[in-house]
Amino acid sequence: MAVTYMKRLEEEPDTYDEKFTNLTKGINLEVFEWILGNLDDDDSSILEVGCGTGKLSANIAHSSKRNVIAIDQNIEMINHAMKEYPTEIEGTLLYQLGSFKDLPVNENSQDMIISTFMISELRPLEQQIFLRNAWQVLKPGGKLIIAAEFVPMSIWRLGFKIKRWRFKKKLRRLKIKSTKLVKYFLDYIEPIGFNIIKKREWKHGSIQVLELVKNHKISSKPGYYKPLQKKYMGISSQLRIYRCTLTGQVDRVPIQPGIYQSGNPNRSSPVLVTANYDFTYIKLMRDLRRIDAWILVLDTDGINVWCAARGDDFGNNQLIEAVEATGIQNYVDHKTLILPQLSAGGISIPKLPKQFPFKIKYGPVWSKYLPNYIDEKPSKKPDYMKLAKFNLYHRIRAGTTHTTFLLRKIFIYPLLLAFIGLISSLYWTNKLTWLVYFLSWIIISNGIIAILFPLSNFTRKFILKGTFFGILNLILLGAITMLFHQSILFTILNLPFIYWVSFFSTMSFSGYTMATAPREIQGEYPTFKKIDKILMIIAIICTIIGILIY
Amino acid sequence: MTEMKENTCCTPTTIIQLPKIWVNESICTGCGLCAEVCPFGLPQMRKNGKYGISDVNSCTECSACQRNCPVAAITLSEQKGCGCLWDARYRIKNNNKSCCG
Repeated sequence: MAVTYMKRLEEEPDTYDEKFTNLTKGINLEVFEWILGNLDDDDSSILEVGCGTGKLSANIAHSSKRNVIAIDQNIEMINHAMKEYPTEIEGTLLYQLGSFKDLPVNENSQDMIISTFMISELRPLEQQIFLRNAWQVLKPGGKLIIAAEFVPMSIWRLGFKIKRWRFKKKLRRLKIKSTKLVKYFLDYIEPIGFNIIKKREWKHGSIQVLELVKNHKISSKPGYYKPLQKKYMGISSQLRIYRCTLTGQVDRVPIQPGIYQSGNPNRSSPVLVTANYDFTYIKLMRDLRRIDAWILVLDTDGINVWCAARGDDFGNNQLIEAVEATGIQNYVDHKTLILPQLSAGGISIPKLPKQFPFKIKYGPVWSKYLPNYIDEKPSKKPDYMKLAKFNLYHRIRAGTTHTTFLLRKIFIYPLLLAFIGLISSLYWTNKLTWLVYFLSWIIISNGIIAILFPLSNFTRKFILKGTFFGILNLILLGAITMLFHQSILFTILNLPFIYWVSFFSTMSFSGYTMATAPREIQGEYPTFKKIDKILMIIAIICTIIGILIY
Repeated sequence: MTEMKENTCCTPTTIIQLPKIWVNESICTGCGLCAEVCPFGLPQMRKNGKYGISDVNSCTECSACQRNCPVAAITLSEQKGCGCLWDARYRIKNNNKSCCG
């Protein structure tokens, strides 16, 4: 709910506290009071991570003689805090720019670390890195206090989700990224080396404060979290595959990033790196056929390798983050990571930091060749391992995803509207067959585009390709219409819709073909938009006339 | 690749149009990593042991070769984006921000 909206408020430090209090209905103040009330007198060195306007740290430092360091990544917030709260006090109060990634204090030096409403801004692996870093700088038995927004229990979950969805929509309009859902945080706590000793919940658990204590008896170093193995065989995983096929391009379907395993890997088994899209994971695991290997799943935001690499979601940052958070180097004796070849558009080997513990090799373009690749270890890959062919099977799968995408994003509302309109005007219920026509035109024309796509390889211009398939579908679907209806006027009135859908779908299919350059498609877009608008208007007019007559 | 254009009012302007991708042969060490990462097999070894791009028009500017070349021998005028209509639409509307991540 409310915390989703935090990013918007952060843009204006002066009004942040007041507006945030409004958003949480005052709960943030109760959280602050709870934290102040739980301070022990011997908690003398305190670090606040993500201090925001600096209010909490100021209160703590002013309450008695303590040494407080407060850091935030946002320079505006630090400036605001330094202006607002005087630092001439008994203890010390220091505001500085800093991040959870690199805490500005020594190991084993802090009695307490506090972080309020920050972890929902961190990605899952970042949350783990933060916990590990906090463990390192805390004294043995030191405490970590985390306040955050969690997903509430049982029936309150629904209301929470609806509110969150509304805030997210609002933020999307303002073009601000929303915060992340804190989903698995509680699972990280024990493996990394903390125990929960106190907990307070507000609003059915949607806001919680946790007091964790550093458990230093097991090891002298923080541990690592490893997600549970995820199934990739059987009916449920097949349903997950269908889900991805039918919702691709719209839904991100992330799995937990981290280390997974295929077969029974040992210290010399290869480490394969991949994206955290559920489909990608299942396909990869199946293609490996239980070969012994470690699988390092990066946090690519639930996007597949190729798209993630081209959109900054599968790059050096994600790779470095995953290696740091998972400790994969402790699992193997060798120093090689095998990355998918298609991730090379996001990863840059020369730009990896010198201390990066692995060498990178680019594996085959499709995961089905991984067993051969691991077996043969070719220094130069043969062509079949490295050339991306967009064959009939790929096109049918891509065509299916693309058609469902078009139906869901563009056609569903007009179709529903037409359905309701026709149903409610009692005389016209016999015209519902029109909806069947529309659906058929959309599905058949997209099928033809996907299957016959190579026919349009005579040009790289998508407007030409669209025109080509427009004409092709006019002839094919026109003939079919003529066959069934035997009416020239009816056929003619249908043609503009068929042409528009084909033209538009071909353009939209461009992203699936792998062979388009952003420059080309961006260059064609303005012209496309004009043609598309004209075609759409003609199609709508003809369709309405058609519905009125037939 | 250089063309001169006479400007109507004042000095002539030179418009240099570079190919969208090219390998600087004097830097190329012939390691072949570019050929390993290109999904379309465009970088091909020449007779002198250096690599060159065989079919510039087929390049999709994915930047894999350029960003991984160990000696930075490849120049690419990369355009951000993922080659999909919806991404293009989103970028034109939102000043070059990405839609699919």
